[in-house]
Amino acid sequence: MSCRELVKAYGEGSPALAGVSFQIDTPGFTVLLGSSGSGKTTLLRAIAGLVPLDSGEIQVDGLAMTGANLASVRRRLGMVHQEFALVERLTSLQNVLSGAAAQLSWPRLVCQAYPDDLRRRACQLLADVGLTEAQANRKARELSGGQRQRVGIARALIGQPRLFLADEPVANLDPETASGLLTLLREAVTSRGIGVLCSLHQTDLALRYADRIIGLKAGRIVFDGPPEAFTPAVASTLFARDGAPHALTVAAA
Amino acid sequence: MFDVRAVVLAGLATILLAYSAQRLDLGRLFGDVGAFILASAGLQERSDIGDGLSGLSAGMFPIVIDERTPVEFVGDLDARLASPLARLETVAIEETELDANTLEMVERVGAKTYLVEPAGYLFFVLLKMLETFEIALWATLFAIAVSLPLSVLCARNYSPHVLIYGAGRTFVAFLRSVPELISALFLVLAFGFGPIPGIVALAIHSIGFLAKFFAEDIEAADPRPQEAIAVTGASRFAVLRLAVIPNVLASFTGLSLYILDRNVRMATVIGLVGAGGIGQELKGRFDMFQYDRVGTLLLVIFLTVLLLDGLSARIRRRLI
Repeated sequence: MSCRELVKAYGEGSPALAGVSFQIDTPGFTVLLGSSGSGKTTLLRAIAGLVPLDSGEIQVDGLAMTGANLASVRRRLGMVHQEFALVERLTSLQNVLSGAAAQLSWPRLVCQAYPDDLRRRACQLLADVGLTEAQANRKARELSGGQRQRVGIARALIGQPRLFLADEPVANLDPETASGLLTLLREAVTSRGIGVLCSLHQTDLALRYADRIIGLKAGRIVFDGPPEAFTPAVASTLFARDGAPHALTVAAA
Repeated sequence: MFDVRAVVLAGLATILLAYSAQRLDLGRLFGDVGAFILASAGLQERSDIGDGLSGLSAGMFPIVIDERTPVEFVGDLDARLASPLARLETVAIEETELDANTLEMVERVGAKTYLVEPAGYLFFVLLKMLETFEIALWATLFAIAVSLPLSVLCARNYSPHVLIYGAGRTFVAFLRSVPELISALFLVLAFGFGPIPGIVALAIHSIGFLAKFFAEDIEAADPRPQEAIAVTGASRFAVLRLAVIPNVLASFTGLSLYILDRNVRMATVIGLVGAGGIGQELKGRFDMFQYDRVGTLLLVIFLTVLLLDGLSARIRRRLI
């Protein structure tokens, strides 16, 4: 996956993305770190094709993200969201299966008749993320936050993505649930050999789980490197409230 | 202390209302109601409203439950006598007759036989009420079937084109703007008397209502799961089916029940112009001054609406 010179501004004022370029070549856990308003969500949503860019280019698997390519690019992506974004009235299993909707013909869609192998895979995924069979058949709204996000991860994985996007997946969870979930996420993607781009605002979690940290501030990349290179000085620059972006960029190792 | 604009507006409104009241002769309303209250309290001998109401209630009570038909008008006497409650009743009547020989009027005691069905008229009215309910039910079913696809075209976020969206919304607003009573009036001319013009008239209006509110539900559905499913590369249709429909289904059902409830009430009204059901019976009896039968009809309508109100409220509560 590669991004080149992404620019996006919402109305007047400072842009959400002010020329962001980076590449993810290898499977691994890349954390997009920054305070709220730094452009993390906009960047992830742009890669998912949910936010139209002012300029710049995104490629996934060598495919440029354009209107005509949108669906085929998206089929290579999986995404989990801060607010879980499940269909509350459907069961966990149905929510997971809905992630495979792109593979269904429309008569099957209308009846929500998923093929057996998809069903088996969905059940397996739910077991992999640690949900019991009873929880799989419960409505999404009856689950706890942590359980919902697990369903979200399973839904993103069922389409067998090449790149996994996670937009603040643990922002609405308590610290213990959060670290459990990130461990799970890390395991799920590394065992499948896919890369994750996960936005976080907690430095400690980023240092614990990341293979690589991309620090984002006011729409610019101010740090890109392994967690070992992420010194307290970098952290204070990244989270400084002065607003003026520092020209501090540590070369990726 | 006072907002000048508010005072001016209130003054203007008062002037306009006073002018309107005078145009509509509202003074008479207050005069008549006042007289009625005074008469009811015994301070005044009579009032116009009191006379009208007592005349009506005297005509209405007791309401008609049974049906008495002279046997000579009953075509299938044996079949109807087979019912356990039906019986024959012969009453003596005095007839005045011209004696052909003497050319004098003579009183003669004769006998007339009636077929008496103790709950005959009530049963007939209930059947008419059932017909009204069936009219409302079919109108609602047709309206739902048309509104579901139409609402997708009329939802800003799922309409295939902004022109289709605009045309759809305009069409739906047009359907809603035609009162059932008026369209039924013309549809009776087209289809003839009976339930069919009623069903069509109610369905047209219900489509205008349901398609609009279905579309607004689709527009207001939680966008987050829609995005989540779109990101997997799913088509617009897949997103609609998997992330929108499950979330709006309860609201759709609630709206449809409300429309069914409303259609039952409207179906009684449009019967007045000949579009079938209990309303048609009501209009006929009213025109023949048979207020005792009108009483039965009104009571059955009232009880049905009451029952339906409670029932649909209960179902809607369970859905939410």
